[in-house]
Amino acid sequence: MKRFKGIQLLVLSLLVVMIVSACGNSASSSNQGSSEGSNSGKDVKITLLNSKGEIQQQLEEAAKAFHEDNPNITLEVQAVPNGGSPFERASALYAAGNPPTMIMLDTGDVEKFKDRILDLSGEKWNQDAVANATDFTTFEGKNYAFPFAIEGYGFIYNKAVVDKAVGGNFDPSTIKTTNDLENLFKQIEASGKKALVISPMDWSLGAHYLPLAYAGQNKDMAEVNKFIDALKAGQVDLASNKVFNGLMDTFDVMMKHNIDSASPLSGQYERGAELLGKGEVGIWFMGNWAWPQISGYDTANKQYGFLPVPISNNPDDYGNQEISSAVSKRIVIDKEKSTPEQQAAAKKFLNWLVYEQKGQDFLVNKMNIIPAFKNITLPAADPLGKSIQDYIAKGKSEQSMSLLPADHWKQVGASMQKYLAKASDRATLAKEIQDYWKNVK
Amino acid sequence: MITEKGVWNRLRSRLLFTGPTLFAFLTVMIVPFFYGIYLTFTNWDGISTTHTLVGFKNYGAVFKDTEFWKSFGLTLKYVLFTVILINVIAFLLAYVLTKGLKGQSFFRAGFFLPNLVGGIVLGFIWQFIFNNVVVYLGQKAAIPLLSASWLSDPDKAFWSLVIVTVWQYAGYMMVIYVAGLMGVPNDILEAASIDGANGWTKMRKMILPLMVPSFIVCIFLSLQRGFMVYDVNVALTQGGPFKSTELVSMHVYEKAFLARDYGLGQAEAFVLFLLVAGITLLQVYFSKKMEVDA
Repeated sequence: MKRFKGIQLLVLSLLVVMIVSACGNSASSSNQGSSEGSNSGKDVKITLLNSKGEIQQQLEEAAKAFHEDNPNITLEVQAVPNGGSPFERASALYAAGNPPTMIMLDTGDVEKFKDRILDLSGEKWNQDAVANATDFTTFEGKNYAFPFAIEGYGFIYNKAVVDKAVGGNFDPSTIKTTNDLENLFKQIEASGKKALVISPMDWSLGAHYLPLAYAGQNKDMAEVNKFIDALKAGQVDLASNKVFNGLMDTFDVMMKHNIDSASPLSGQYERGAELLGKGEVGIWFMGNWAWPQISGYDTANKQYGFLPVPISNNPDDYGNQEISSAVSKRIVIDKEKSTPEQQAAAKKFLNWLVYEQKGQDFLVNKMNIIPAFKNITLPAADPLGKSIQDYIAKGKSEQSMSLLPADHWKQVGASMQKYLAKASDRATLAKEIQDYWKNVK
Repeated sequence: MITEKGVWNRLRSRLLFTGPTLFAFLTVMIVPFFYGIYLTFTNWDGISTTHTLVGFKNYGAVFKDTEFWKSFGLTLKYVLFTVILINVIAFLLAYVLTKGLKGQSFFRAGFFLPNLVGGIVLGFIWQFIFNNVVVYLGQKAAIPLLSASWLSDPDKAFWSLVIVTVWQYAGYMMVIYVAGLMGVPNDILEAASIDGANGWTKMRKMILPLMVPSFIVCIFLSLQRGFMVYDVNVALTQGGPFKSTELVSMHVYEKAFLARDYGLGQAEAFVLFLLVAGITLLQVYFSKKMEVDA
């Protein structure tokens, strides 16, 4: 009995020692991290949570190239799981106490992370960013995020198909009204192709198509914000709103000429790229991020461009000739769990993207990003990016809605899908959107 | 050890053996559970470093959230059909595969296999099948029912979910039923045959009553899994088309992480926990009464 107790005590104390030492270990290892950095020859490992799935591979290659330039920094690119939002993933990682060093967030999410991320106002690239690029991520005079990409969206046309349809060289500036657009659809159909494909994803309909109804209200962003406030207060009657109705009139025309009109909800993102690239349809509602997918099927010798989404039959109405674009992805740097060395390494990576030739090359030519920096003079590498840049250069751009509530795309997207499937009418749609805004937090 | 005297002595040896497990259980189950309940009284958004107490406001909001109750109703419907279908099919499979068929172990393994595939992977596989394979075959064979994707129609998308769930779990429940069937003593079946009982009578009067424990386990498992299903739902339909197949777990997740209303999401999760606990306890209580001895 006596001896048994001895063993017991021994085991118990062993257990305690194990637990204590386990705790101690993690503490000492994080200390190690910081001391390692100070004699800068040692390795720093940083991570980037990527929420642009289409450039995952290119980012990984960029990480490798960055590692070659900076042998002591290893960058690991993690992807946000399919269908998840960067906010979901990032907040889960924060809750798990294991946040990535850098997170690529949507513009509207940055403010939520304000207390946990680094103030980047001191970085050199702030001066080189394009106008208004950091407005939405500046709080109390401090900018918290790196503007990663300008993205725009509208109707992408396949030039080979529309050239044939109009019998000559197609000029996108001739499409200024809903009727013009419908005529083009009819011409394409007369040439033996289908007019367009509507990709029914909730994010495409809810985050891109419908917000045109908000952004098109007025050229002045302050007026648009007032409109949003009125929506929240329940003072807007969408059913009688001119822009909303004009936009949905265009949508009705799209639905009529949709290649998938028999089963409008079954299509997927890849299908749109395939149909457009192969020239089976002339037009697809999507953004310039779709280039990698389209180019995989390209049959039009890289001749593509954008058409704005018309919202009326008056060519001069705001929105009929403007393409919707904005800085859409932001990279932030964690300050809670990242060591100063990791933070420095992350800043170095961002600078590498903006100022090093290699980084710029990756950004523009490999990832097909339209950079939000004036000092990068490389022209957009792909026809879609070029088209967006043209519109912006001509001043024909409409600011996309970047600060919509986080679940807007899902909830309103579902209402739009219902409308697309003809399971609801315009009055129901208007009411569902108004109800959403009234209940949103 | 039982002979040890004194509270401390007894406690110490208990702790030696149960301590590590108890520690793990406390830290990963009990503490988060109560912390979660605490969070239901706050307005935390899931990421900010501060939050304030709001009392029972979140619980009030749960009862006002019509979407939550709608998806709970849909989940009830889903559970009803999956529990019935899983158990009927699993029992029939088990019955056939204990008859001494040639290659029956091979078939058992085959039917069990889907259960070894994770729900997410399985959801994506079936998404491909419903969206591409079935549609392709349907169009070739000109069957209108199959020539449009099932996942784009609210009713058919619901049945797609049921089909995939049944396919996933029927094999697992089958294994439990096989064990139950093998446990039915042969002597009483033989005695019944001599007395002139036919197959159906034997099934109804002996096999089924003796299998009640297996039924309890299987129904409990399929009930609980049905209520908690998330992975297949998210991978197969993403709650679509237009949120018509959004089951309750998915709704709770979206409230907490997508709408950034962590307190409300957690409150809904807790209400869901109470409802599911109530239903499964009732099921176990009532089916226990049906158990018999051989």
